[in-house]
Amino acid sequence: MEVKNSYIPYQVRIADKTEEAPMVQTYRLEFVNPSDATAFSFKAGQFAEYGVFGEGESTFCIASPPTREGYVECTFRSSGRVTKALANCEINDIIGFRGPFGNTFPIEQWYGKNIVIITGGIGLPPLRCVIWNILDQREKFGNLTIYYGAKSVADLVYKKELQEWKERNDVNLYLTVDPGGETPDWKDHIGFVPTILEQNLPSSHNAIAIVAGPPILIKLGMPILGKCGFANNTIYTTLENRMKCGVGKCGHCTVGKTYVCKDGPVFTYEEILNMPPEY
Amino acid sequence: MPLTRSKPKTKKHLSDNDYQMEQSLISSANLQAFFETLLQSGRIVVAPVLKQSGKVFFQPVQAYSEVATDYIQTAFSAKSVVFPKVETLFSFVRKDGEITLTDSLNRIPETVVWGLRPCDAAGFDYLTEFFLRENPDSYFKTRKEHTTLITFGCKEADNACFCTSVGLNPGNTTGSDILMTFMNEECYVEIMTEKGQQAVALAPSLFKASEVRQKDAFLAKPATRFSIDEIKDKIKHAYASAEWKQVSLGCFSCGACAFACPTCTCFDIQDEGTQDKGVRLRCWDACGFGMFTRHSSGHNPKNNQTERRRQRLMHKFNYSVDNLGIVSCVGCGRCIRVCPAHLNIFENILSVTKD
Repeated sequence: MEVKNSYIPYQVRIADKTEEAPMVQTYRLEFVNPSDATAFSFKAGQFAEYGVFGEGESTFCIASPPTREGYVECTFRSSGRVTKALANCEINDIIGFRGPFGNTFPIEQWYGKNIVIITGGIGLPPLRCVIWNILDQREKFGNLTIYYGAKSVADLVYKKELQEWKERNDVNLYLTVDPGGETPDWKDHIGFVPTILEQNLPSSHNAIAIVAGPPILIKLGMPILGKCGFANNTIYTTLENRMKCGVGKCGHCTVGKTYVCKDGPVFTYEEILNMPPEY
Repeated sequence: MPLTRSKPKTKKHLSDNDYQMEQSLISSANLQAFFETLLQSGRIVVAPVLKQSGKVFFQPVQAYSEVATDYIQTAFSAKSVVFPKVETLFSFVRKDGEITLTDSLNRIPETVVWGLRPCDAAGFDYLTEFFLRENPDSYFKTRKEHTTLITFGCKEADNACFCTSVGLNPGNTTGSDILMTFMNEECYVEIMTEKGQQAVALAPSLFKASEVRQKDAFLAKPATRFSIDEIKDKIKHAYASAEWKQVSLGCFSCGACAFACPTCTCFDIQDEGTQDKGVRLRCWDACGFGMFTRHSSGHNPKNNQTERRRQRLMHKFNYSVDNLGIVSCVGCGRCIRVCPAHLNIFENILSVTKD
């Protein structure tokens, strides 16, 4: 039995940095070793471990779509030792990358369907991967409706892309900020994402929905979709429990008997209802 | 004729092999000579050693005189031989903008664990299933391949022992390469694997062939606390039990149970050193620690000791049965002996599964 050592990271170079929001950055990463770049592939919904040697590793989704090859992007908030060290890295620095891990959104099964996306804060990065995956093959999908909100205008991530999606006539974007988070020139919605969703209910006709964000948004958002007529197996989410190994061994991410890292991170509402609420 | 295994199994275990087990005998006087042969073969020999605290711990030894023989159970299991408390995954050096990684896997020595109990050997069987069944772990795999387990059946048990409640017994061979059972002045030797045979072959003259013997009269009779089939069934519905609060009230979140446990596998990954030179380590962790599941946002899915104690017990008696077909508690009793709050796992299991 030949066994691949899943703890040895790829080395990736920071090709670009974008400041998204206070303490939130996006890194574009390219493989140092060309043969790694050739061997690597992933699908929407998968995640990776990003590490600064000497500091440790952190878990984030892959925020760029698999339809764009040659690089991966991740978006993260600085909060602990590793993410602060990552944030201090500069363009051309080498970091570690392990992945891809976990299951994927069944994008191919959604061909011809209307897509509804509900997300908040830095729950957008895993769904940005899905959104661009859809927009890069736009003709294969029906309507795309996005509900996205953050605490304040400054906390919205991917501001340029939000603007682009707003201007496209093949994307229906509901943008909102929490009450008090608006600026004087804010022209979009004000209110928590579940409130805006309830005021502007999506049609469940020939549609699937994805909810991602803080656990409270998942817990509140999924039942609203259920009331709209979405069947439980047409509502998806991606869970982001604390993780260390990525391969179902370290034990941190478990929800009951389920390992988010290898059995997820993508789950349907039907699966979530059969799990204890440990997320 | 192979012994019937006491553990009910749904599928072939990875540690099973096609080796036709053999029986033999060694005189108690010759045990020391066998032990010394193992030492002289260049293998690292890990054996129980009595410490000043009065507790017995596994550690590498240089002479037979260091080996404790009068103990019911060691304080910690021998799992650290295949899953060390702190293990280097790789080392790294950054020079002129380039990073060189060095895998630590090629430095794993041939090791014999001497004197573990049948419950611990069964623990190794579980560890093998857990680490190698899916996404096989190369560090565990390499260490396990280089490890020979020489187990001694239990003459005595204490009030914490409950192996017979989890489908094992003081003479079970599960997981052992060799199982020794003291029978008066001689030791009955069951050679279970090729690795066990290789160890015996280092000193064949010390052993003589034997017919199959009945061991029961020479083994301890620990109290059976519950029927595992009944518990496995009832615990499926125990998640919502009101008893979890009561059974976790005393828990200090110290993690001693997990560190002493032969089947706890949770770990953390941490870096040590500087960004220019250092190591990435994995270190034992415990589901009882508050930080274990805490998100960076501060949100914690298992926010209190009740939820964390439930995770530990449900994992052992329910989740690992669902995931791997094995109860991942071997009834060694270590968590009961070590717990500063006197929490008792078999009493807790009975509480949360009572009607």
